[in-house]
Amino acid sequence: MNNPYLPKLATIQAVKPETPDTTTFALKLDDAAERAAFKHKPGQFLELSVFGAGEAPFCIASSAHGRDDLEVTVRRLGQVTSALHEMSVGGQVGIRGPLGNSFPFDEVEGKHALFVVGGLGLAPLRPQIVDIYREREKFSAVSVLYGARTPDDLVYKDELEQWQSQEGMTCLLTVDVAANGWTGNVGVVGTLLQQVKTDPASTVAFVCGPPIMIRFVVQDLVSLGFGDDNIVTTLERHMRCGIGKCNHCMVGDKYICKDGPVFTYGQMRKMMEFEQ
Amino acid sequence: MTARLLPHDRVAEFTERLLREAEVIAPRRLETGDVFYGPIAAAEEVAWDYGTAVEPLKRFLLPQRERILRFSDDGELRVEAEYDERERIFLGVRGCDVAGVAVLDEMFGGDIPDPYYLGRRARATFIALSCQQPDPHCFCVCGDAGPFLKRGYDQQWTKLPDGMLVEIGSEKGEALAAAHDDLMQPAELEHIAARHRLAKEAEKLFGDYHSYAAAAMRKLTTNEVAPEVWEQASDYCQECGGCTFLCPTCSCFTVTDRREGPGGVRERHWDACLYSCYAREASGHNPRAERADRLRARFFHKLSYQWAQRNGRHACVGCGRCVVGCMAWAHMAAMSDAMRRGVMP
Repeated sequence: MNNPYLPKLATIQAVKPETPDTTTFALKLDDAAERAAFKHKPGQFLELSVFGAGEAPFCIASSAHGRDDLEVTVRRLGQVTSALHEMSVGGQVGIRGPLGNSFPFDEVEGKHALFVVGGLGLAPLRPQIVDIYREREKFSAVSVLYGARTPDDLVYKDELEQWQSQEGMTCLLTVDVAANGWTGNVGVVGTLLQQVKTDPASTVAFVCGPPIMIRFVVQDLVSLGFGDDNIVTTLERHMRCGIGKCNHCMVGDKYICKDGPVFTYGQMRKMMEFEQ
Repeated sequence: MTARLLPHDRVAEFTERLLREAEVIAPRRLETGDVFYGPIAAAEEVAWDYGTAVEPLKRFLLPQRERILRFSDDGELRVEAEYDERERIFLGVRGCDVAGVAVLDEMFGGDIPDPYYLGRRARATFIALSCQQPDPHCFCVCGDAGPFLKRGYDQQWTKLPDGMLVEIGSEKGEALAAAHDDLMQPAELEHIAARHRLAKEAEKLFGDYHSYAAAAMRKLTTNEVAPEVWEQASDYCQECGGCTFLCPTCSCFTVTDRREGPGGVRERHWDACLYSCYAREASGHNPRAERADRLRARFFHKLSYQWAQRNGRHACVGCGRCVVGCMAWAHMAAMSDAMRRGVMP
């Protein structure tokens, strides 16, 4: 019997600091056959083991196209993430996945893909943004509205610069608190919605960020006419197994790990009857 | 798959034969008078007269602490799984506990099978003992889990004046009976009739506790339980987790790593959804910070139609252990009544 708890070994290829407390790790599965078999879609996550410290879920922050490694962007917070931050290139970790469902792609064809993102919420949406832009001609528009607390808290800064200048994509940034040298927008990310043309009938909004940010952005979108099916988000919960056995991530009658982590606003609303 | 009669004077011989084939887990009466399920070494250790064992069978299939991986690092990192491959026969266990295993089967089977649980499960044989002496706190009649089982057992024994009536519930149960047919006699119609008469009589012996599962299920499903119920219950509940650990069907677990020498082990442990840290995230954000929310989530999981549909049945077998274990008044019988009436008793 296949053991879904058994991690596959992977080696850290690169370590790139994003913010003072957040780092992107590029990981490559050691076994070539396992590498070829690992097929992930935007929105899916993995369980990462730092042996001796434990295991925790992280979204896969890189696209599957054109690369055979995986990136996770990790904030230093608890036991596993602290142990991971102590590791460097060549260090070995364990991976289980890909786990969970993924963002809609074909369903967005012909429409405006609008991303409204806060802080580290860019990590799960990044592969979706990359994959959608890769097939840009299939979509009527691509907009990325991204906010962070301070300019230092913006992740993937090189890529943001590229997105801001590249053809066929609108990328607007904002920070809650400006710091020296910041000449851009100041304010919560929802305020950027006024700067893009959004027709709810032909737009799908992808929203991810801290819980409070998701709540306010969803309110903004609803007041613009968005509804149950054209707001899509990805949720996180404390989880142990990632496969619907440990029950930690249960919300109402759904598992975040197995039924999600990607949910429409309609599904999320039903779950929110149970929790904030 | 015909029923047989095992005369009383041959039960010991049958048990001794089982002991030569496998580990036998049976009810044993401790010096304190409490009955626990545990491995026996001899036939006379089995307590055939008891109501409910203190704990259910859960720990034999899902141990309270279980090693799931071992990793070694002597220059080269290796990760290996460890499995429990013991053959076990559960002899004389209660129907409610066998019914509880069926709930665990759904949880650990399904689209992503759990090899640790299912490995133990595949090597387990259940010989249930129908219940003619329910304890005062029992309410399996409300849980479709007894006092006599209709399904889910390999064999079900019923104590009759002439011997044990052996009903066969699976091919495994039939094979076990056939292997020891020299000890058994064919069951007569009168034995079968007596069994059904005893089942009817046993149903009259239940005490004051009831699970108003249907009413609770309806209200949970449609989100109509008065919010005050959870607020009031949160004043009762002491968050000890006893109800979840004693429950035959509660199976939440957490996973931790432990260093051992140059390597270490990964273990899973029972966890309880009532604990305040259960859903707390590394950031400190806790979506179920209030005890009332945790109580609601627990009973929704156990009794709502949504989960009953996902799991094949609702997750209470009426064994009554939470009634005994709860130091307050937040057990299944009290809570299902409170959900029904909209106020805590």
